[in-house]
Amino acid sequence: MNVLLSIAFDALAYGMVLFIICIGLSVMMGLMRVINLAHGAFAMIGGYIASYVAGPMGWGYVPALVCGVIGAALIALPLERLLYRRVYGASDPLVQVLMTIGLTFCIIGATNFLFGSAMRAIPLPALISGPVDLGVRTVPAHRLFVIACGVVIASGLWYLIERTSFGIRLRATVDNTGMAGALGVRTDWIYTATFALAVGLAAFGGAVGAEIMPLDPYYALRYMVTFLVVVSVGGAGSIGGALVAALLLGFVDTTGRYLAPNYGEFFFYLAVIAIVFVFPHGLLRRGA
Amino acid sequence: MPTDGCPAFAPAAMVSIGVRVVSCPARRKGEVVLMRSIRVLVVAAAFAVAIGGVASAETIKVGVIGPMSGPFSLYGRNFKLGIDAYVAMHGKKAGSHDVEFIYRDLDGPDPAKAKSLAQELIVKDKVQYLAGVYFTPNAMAVAPLLVQGKTPFILMNAATSAITEKSPYIVRTSFTMWQNTVPAARVARQKGYKKVAIAVSDYGPGIDAETAFRQTFEADGGTVIESIRMPVRTTDFGPVMQRIRNGGADAVFAFLPAGPPTLAFVKAFIDNGLKAAGIQLLTTGDVTPEPDLPQFGDDGIGIISTYHYSRSHASPENEAFLAKIREVGGRVEDVTMAAVGAFDGAHVIYKMIEATGGERDPEKAVAAVKGLSWISPRGPVSIDPETRHITQNVYVRSVEKQGSTYINKEILTFANQPDYGLIKAK
Amino acid sequence: MAPIPGRPAASPRPGCRSRGVPGRELVAPTVVAILGALAYLAFPDDLAFFTRIIVAALFVMSLDLVVGYCGVATLGHAVLYGAGAYAAGILCVDGLTDPLLLIAAGSVAGVVAGLVTALVILRAHGLPQLVLSIAVVQLAYEAANKARDITGGSDGLSGISPGPVFGLFEFDLWGRTAYVLALVLLIATLVVLRRVVRSPFGLLCRGIKQDPDRIRAIGGTIYGNLVKMYALSGAVAGLAGGLTAVTTGVVGLDSVSFEWSAEALVMLVLGGAGTLYGALVGAVVFTGFEHYVAAVDPYHWLFVVGALLIGVVLALPAGLGSLAAWLRRLLPQGAP
Repeated sequence: MNVLLSIAFDALAYGMVLFIICIGLSVMMGLMRVINLAHGAFAMIGGYIASYVAGPMGWGYVPALVCGVIGAALIALPLERLLYRRVYGASDPLVQVLMTIGLTFCIIGATNFLFGSAMRAIPLPALISGPVDLGVRTVPAHRLFVIACGVVIASGLWYLIERTSFGIRLRATVDNTGMAGALGVRTDWIYTATFALAVGLAAFGGAVGAEIMPLDPYYALRYMVTFLVVVSVGGAGSIGGALVAALLLGFVDTTGRYLAPNYGEFFFYLAVIAIVFVFPHGLLRRGA
Repeated sequence: MPTDGCPAFAPAAMVSIGVRVVSCPARRKGEVVLMRSIRVLVVAAAFAVAIGGVASAETIKVGVIGPMSGPFSLYGRNFKLGIDAYVAMHGKKAGSHDVEFIYRDLDGPDPAKAKSLAQELIVKDKVQYLAGVYFTPNAMAVAPLLVQGKTPFILMNAATSAITEKSPYIVRTSFTMWQNTVPAARVARQKGYKKVAIAVSDYGPGIDAETAFRQTFEADGGTVIESIRMPVRTTDFGPVMQRIRNGGADAVFAFLPAGPPTLAFVKAFIDNGLKAAGIQLLTTGDVTPEPDLPQFGDDGIGIISTYHYSRSHASPENEAFLAKIREVGGRVEDVTMAAVGAFDGAHVIYKMIEATGGERDPEKAVAAVKGLSWISPRGPVSIDPETRHITQNVYVRSVEKQGSTYINKEILTFANQPDYGLIKAK
Repeated sequence: MAPIPGRPAASPRPGCRSRGVPGRELVAPTVVAILGALAYLAFPDDLAFFTRIIVAALFVMSLDLVVGYCGVATLGHAVLYGAGAYAAGILCVDGLTDPLLLIAAGSVAGVVAGLVTALVILRAHGLPQLVLSIAVVQLAYEAANKARDITGGSDGLSGISPGPVFGLFEFDLWGRTAYVLALVLLIATLVVLRRVVRSPFGLLCRGIKQDPDRIRAIGGTIYGNLVKMYALSGAVAGLAGGLTAVTTGVVGLDSVSFEWSAEALVMLVLGGAGTLYGALVGAVVFTGFEHYVAAVDPYHWLFVVGALLIGVVLALPAGLGSLAAWLRRLLPQGAP
């Protein structure tokens, strides 16, 4: 029982980081139909900005997170206008793959140039650093914070999409862009806003999750596959699906690593194959 | 990846497009034109090669292969820093010959590319010595070329014991996993730890470290209660820590290649309460390279590691070395064992050139450095005539705060350690 | 988006177009042979690098068979390549030293790996298919890492020293034998593949890519044909893998990695998927460009390579291979 709780806790924290980063990608792939391999790169940008603001500038953790999110969105918006727009819904997804990989390379190169190749940590405030004794076991305080963030974001997104007028327009645009446009929804604006939101969430995840997925210039490539897998398993465009997929895969990965650490990677990918076989369209597909 | 072979392909690609533009009836004519331009090209190329050959006769070239870009670029740049520092200290001439170092980028383990780079350096750039190489598979790919190419190879990093056996022309100035791990096991026993858990990355050097530690520790009467091989790409170590904690070990011996996972590993060790529970973290120096220590912060204090070089090693040689690093434009904060491996590698190369008088004579060159001993920035070292591997002190260090920086403070020395990996194999 | 399917060398004059003209099939292989011979004569010191390009070209062509001709999305093609490389390497370490036999064995291993992969990844389409292929290649990578006793694990499988080709031509320091062998294999493969992709079977596969429902309606089987193409692709990828094992003497884990699969896909899309010649151009341009830029600036070349990829997408969304077609469209108007 103790062991199970212990695993569940680690899995939850890991799954939440995956969720925070992946949800943006999922929305983007569902709405703009763009396979954005540069998503991890945006998470990395957020993390780097946060590490710079919290480290050398010394502004503290919360301002660092805010700056990371805003900074990444500001960097990403011109890219959306100049690059992504040209490949939205391209009939050949391979073109999107090529462009976003190219963009990832460029971002890695730039990060390497600006910050060097050494890894970066984001200094944590005393409140959320160090161990906390829960009675059952000692857990890192930071992970409690991450889990809380995940819950807040998931419910916030649910509210945004199900309960606000922006959400209605967003859903309409996802379901049928042409019709939504004809009904007076500014789909153009929805695209930009969604892109900014997706990048902002990625940046937040990159900064908050830096303890679990450490930052270095190759972050963007190292986790690219993981993010893509989570989104695909959950079903592109589905918030619930992304949440379930992130938690499930986080759980499989963590359990595998606890029970049979020598074969850690096998469980994760075997689970992926099994899930795709059983749910070829994603765990929860929008509108299905 | 690097090298200047591109002119070779660029015209080729253009020609290929050109040919396809030519329409059917004009094909004959097109071919004539093509043949003519080919002839011009061949002559021009032959000419260029001839000139290049003449110009390079005076200086002795050394080809250095290392990760100049990519996740491990810190170590490739360290190669260059170490060599630059040596050249700044001892001049550009070895004996009466100018020495020129040529750098090639190989950012990860890629034996096919390693071989083609080495081949190109030997055949095209006419280097007399090869050096560098960070990853084991790359060194293995280069080894078979050496005898035919009559080129000694000074290995400045790759740490698998067996490499030097692959060719009689390989000399290593870095370290091996066995060399650094055996003292770690000894010190664990000396400090009175009885039950140890091992956690290593699941790849060649990790397995070497695991075997070396286990054998030494058990031979000295300790018990290894658990041995975990972690996938190289893992960065979430919560489950591993939990497992170790539940196992009830006094100490953990860990090896991970330097990079982002080490930071996550150390953080997980502290955040899961292992440090607070009094469990000692014991590693090889790969986990605590100086450039990463500031990222660990105060959390890192007290980690014990065994390694052949610490930047804070107190000796006039090390001070002079670090001063030269600064002089050639390097940052002392970036110096790692790779810079010292390269610095000593350059020393070996200079000695080889002096011994051969600049002639291409690999037998003589290698023979000249067998048994060579000198004082390196890391301490007294010598080249073992049997294994052609460097014999050196291995230091037990503890991470400490010194002013505003963190250092690996040497607390104990194991003198003149050989490569236990090769000795065991004999 | 996939233009000029299958007729890379088509000229603007309708008279030259028909498949019936004898010798037409041999134009591209001949051009490759001439360029290959030229490279050998003009740059005798770069043969090792050229051999690496040829291996990449073979691998990318193999990938093109499934991606460009069948529309299968895969980021796990290195499984097929790695199977060939390890098969040839392991057999050689065990005492089989004839290089041609080793390469043939690699090719067979590639076919087997192709069939196994096809079994898994043809179960889904689109994004899930891509993810399945990633899972397969990651599993293969881990398996190769775990089977350290056979594969050498992350240290690489070394000690591969094949005998002379035909008992006559030793593998030399300059890489001459290796280069000629690779070039001959490339030309032979090109001849065979050009025939295959223009055969009814090849056309059927292209039909499956464009509209599987219609193919089903006219009575074509989809799964069976895709598996067949996968096997063929495996033969070519395995050949490339075997060739690299024989010519470099070491097989590393990188040969079954996701990274190598992704790099091949980048080369393919760069050159233009759906034409063998696009695959060839992509491999040559990407490998050569990387080589050149990395030599000029070993520290920051990745940025320039990334910029090249973005530039190609913006300027030539159908890949570099479409450049020729684009030029051709321009010429008749430009010329009086």
